[in-house]
Amino acid sequence: MSFLFGRTRARTNTTDLARQAREHVTKLEGPQGAAKAEELAKVLSQMKQVLQGTHETEPNPDQIYQLVTGMIEEDLFYLLAVNLHRLPFESRKDTQVIFSYAFRFRPPTGPQKPEPLALAYVVERRPQVLVELCRGYDHKESATPAGTVLREVLKNEAAAAIILYDDGDEQGSSARGVGAINPDRPQSGRGVFWNFFDWIDKSSFEVSADAFTTFRELITKHKELVPRYLAVNFDLFFERYNSVLVQSNSYVTKRQSIKLLGEILLDRSNYNIMTAYVDRGEHLKICMNLLRDDRKMVQYEGFHVFKVFVANPHKSVPVQKILIMNRDKLLHFLSHFLEDRTEDEQFIDEREFLIKQIRNMPPAPVPPPQR
Amino acid sequence: MADEGFAGRYQVLEELGRGSFGVVYKGIDKATGETVAIKHIDLESSEDDIQEIQQEISVLSTCASNYVTQYKASFLRGHKLWIVMEYLGGGSCLDLLKSGAFNEVQIAIICRELLLGLDYLHSEGKIHRDIKAANVLLSDSGKVKLADFGVAAQLTYMKSQRNTFVGTPFWMAPEVIQQAGYDFKADIWSLGITAIELAQGEPPHASLHPMKVLFHIPKNPPPRLEGKFSKEFKDFVAQCLVKDADFRPTAKELLKHRFIRSAGKVEALQELIQRKRLADARADHAKLPVYYQETLRTISPKDEADEWVFETVKSVVPRRGTVRSRKPSSAFAVEDAMHKLDLKDGPLQPSTPGTVRKATVRRQPSSASRQNSVRRHVSNGSPRASLAPKRPLQPDLSFGNSGSTMRLFRRVPSDGSNPGCLASSPPEFANENQPPPAYQAPVEPNSKEAMLGRRLYNKALEPCLDELHAQTAASSKREALARLSDAFAFLDSVDPEGAYHFIRNLVSAVSQDNKLTNAFLPQHQSTAPLAKPPSDGTPQGTVLIKSRATPPSSSSPTSGAAVPPPPPTPATPPVPTSPTKLILSQDNPHLMSHHRRRGSMLPPPPPPPPSSSSSSSADGPRSPDRDRDRERERDREKEREKMAMAALEARFPGRPAVPGMEHCKALSDLLYARWTDGLRARWGVVGGA
Repeated sequence: MSFLFGRTRARTNTTDLARQAREHVTKLEGPQGAAKAEELAKVLSQMKQVLQGTHETEPNPDQIYQLVTGMIEEDLFYLLAVNLHRLPFESRKDTQVIFSYAFRFRPPTGPQKPEPLALAYVVERRPQVLVELCRGYDHKESATPAGTVLREVLKNEAAAAIILYDDGDEQGSSARGVGAINPDRPQSGRGVFWNFFDWIDKSSFEVSADAFTTFRELITKHKELVPRYLAVNFDLFFERYNSVLVQSNSYVTKRQSIKLLGEILLDRSNYNIMTAYVDRGEHLKICMNLLRDDRKMVQYEGFHVFKVFVANPHKSVPVQKILIMNRDKLLHFLSHFLEDRTEDEQFIDEREFLIKQIRNMPPAPVPPPQR
Repeated sequence: MADEGFAGRYQVLEELGRGSFGVVYKGIDKATGETVAIKHIDLESSEDDIQEIQQEISVLSTCASNYVTQYKASFLRGHKLWIVMEYLGGGSCLDLLKSGAFNEVQIAIICRELLLGLDYLHSEGKIHRDIKAANVLLSDSGKVKLADFGVAAQLTYMKSQRNTFVGTPFWMAPEVIQQAGYDFKADIWSLGITAIELAQGEPPHASLHPMKVLFHIPKNPPPRLEGKFSKEFKDFVAQCLVKDADFRPTAKELLKHRFIRSAGKVEALQELIQRKRLADARADHAKLPVYYQETLRTISPKDEADEWVFETVKSVVPRRGTVRSRKPSSAFAVEDAMHKLDLKDGPLQPSTPGTVRKATVRRQPSSASRQNSVRRHVSNGSPRASLAPKRPLQPDLSFGNSGSTMRLFRRVPSDGSNPGCLASSPPEFANENQPPPAYQAPVEPNSKEAMLGRRLYNKALEPCLDELHAQTAASSKREALARLSDAFAFLDSVDPEGAYHFIRNLVSAVSQDNKLTNAFLPQHQSTAPLAKPPSDGTPQGTVLIKSRATPPSSSSPTSGAAVPPPPPTPATPPVPTSPTKLILSQDNPHLMSHHRRRGSMLPPPPPPPPSSSSSSSADGPRSPDRDRDRERERDREKEREKMAMAALEARFPGRPAVPGMEHCKALSDLLYARWTDGLRARWGVVGGA
């Protein structure tokens, strides 16, 4: 514990900290890796203290400025992101704090840019830092600290765009900075964003749950960026979403992703996405099978997607066909659906509403009016 | 997720205790031979808590301190989440307090260890927010560790503040209650309260209603440690309990306090553990452990005929690719309805689940399995085991207090003497040692009264009891409440109609008496939200207002009247083998207020016939229903139900005081006596708890 208390000493060479950290971090893989890790831990701990101060002392903006510019010069953000899983336990947490503070820091003087110094640099010049932070989900050790930093950073729309539009060397990929992005080009599906599906589906509970939380932030936070992205990449996205997440073998992934699907569809900014989604008979089938899942909560979350199909006043012909074909079964099924939810009045009302809607459907599909 | 393999690494042994989120088992890590505590959380039975649980795990997993319970792993198994933690054999300080208060030497040691733990957490940017004896665990060797991070907060930045109203009222710092922004210092206040709790067995104001305490703490001078304690100890407590957080010392500063510096070694705490074990042995608490049994997951055979039909003819696939021609049609002009289901109204929106998120699950889902077997075992092979009835007394998470108390690993003796697990050991999990539970298949409500009765239970009784339980700190009171709630749940499952008549009569009896009417009925008539359970997830604001409207002191008219004999003392918990935990808790002020609130859940009773005397008028509206009720019961030969109800009535606190109902007391006393005799004869134990 003593190192936690004795930090007031020796913080003279702020400028040098970033350089020292770089030296150590590049040698972690080498023969003296363990010793370097120890050295690095000390440096990181000092850096953290410079950035956040202590309970007793306020941080010094000039020192922070020196440190942050030093980190940019030494490309330390990238190096730390890449090596996050190799760092010792405490250093991973320190690194998380360093990133959080550094990405938030705005210089006290000079022209005020809308974005904090380091974050602006990363978004415009070094997007690989964010991509590598996402790759933190490859390792159990780095998942939580990387995820925590990511969720902070993703509040920034440009940073979110970097991750969504990362697509290797393709034209219009975010790899050359936020300015190079071409949002109208469909994604290849090989960018870092698409790895989230596997991180969520295949990782251990802790990693999966953290990745899902970040994924949710990414998909729900930005009301202009994301609808546009989903519109361009509609098929790719929902094909992956339904096959990997909604049909996942993991109970948590399945349940949370159905819930998130409902949230996506019912978000007003995603209106066009929603109408396109509920036009597909294929999607309705997946959804109706969820209603028959063994697990009540899966059924329940499935219901909240199903209701969108049924309540849609402009049901497509394929959707109508399925509903009409199953009318009697659905009516019978819904009248006994989740009967124990006696306290959830909204649910009961909605269930009644759906029953009425299905009962009142015409005997044969009627093409919907033009929208 | 590739988690299945992990589970095989652990050998799961006996049950250690139960909390709101699941069952805690002792286990062995086969790879290392280390003893661990494994918590099984049934995710199916939690509406919305996956992210909360995940938050808790992420706080825990980033802690590495000797003063914090060590998190080891977590993984999914089906819809159960297993969390593996360090095993602490000594139990919680609250458990240990049951065999008597701690002495100063012991308290000094515990406080020092807690300060070291808090200093670590605070330096990590974490606030525990629920420091109390129940959340302090001891290892066999006397090491002291902080547990239960269910409501802990991780601050991203050093100077961040929090506003969330969480914790347990008695231990809450004034600035937390006032929601004016608080930080690490809130834990220091709670530590001071905990020190008093350890010295006196209860936190200050334990006799007050928790809601009242919430007004008390910010308004009044801080509590002081009174009695024969050293000057140093008293000063330490006073330092912790400085109302202005800015002047309250940090954990680091308090570690330099004389009381702390002179504290001894943790090994001295082993005495406490020994004492508790002796007391347990003497009280014959030792019970055969309940062992973990893997739930057999039978895949319910799906009825082929029930499958959806997605193709007109099975072999032909005409559906997709059809041209979507869109012609105008007015057949589906339900845009309003679409809007109704649209957007913010959907229960998926974060705002709404709060209102429906009740930690309780109704009992019906398990009715089928209950019909099959009277005696139930840990796993009944049903794939729906997860939906087996949960305890009626889930902590009220919305209130943010005892949700925390039961969230994490608290070692609780399986005899249910711990408040955290009082509501536990449901009859579904009855072990071989327990007499067969008396549950029968829940009756389907088949009359209007029965349906109202069931609704009454769902909407009013159960939420009220939940809330009260969550707000009650004193263990004996919690126990009493738990039993009352059990009794109601039982009544509801066998005779919802009885519950209806009971409340109906109660309300009408109350309306007979002017004083009672004034106390209970008028102020609610305008506001009573008939269908709205009080603990519906709305934050404390509502609760506060409600409590202001009916301070517990207003129960005086009721409590002033004849009071039946006191409940069993907390020191000698009732024989734990009785499955139906009924208990008297007459003088409990919480129950008085419970009466009031429950009264508010019903429409005002019809005005009594002016001519009749108070006694007969109470009988008046009752007899037709009552007669019909009896008819039906006789027909169905379910006398036991009525007896259960009568027993319940007899035990209802303050009930004999209701004027006009004396005749019922005699009747129910008689029935109750017969019922307990029946229990005695069948089980050979002292029945009736």
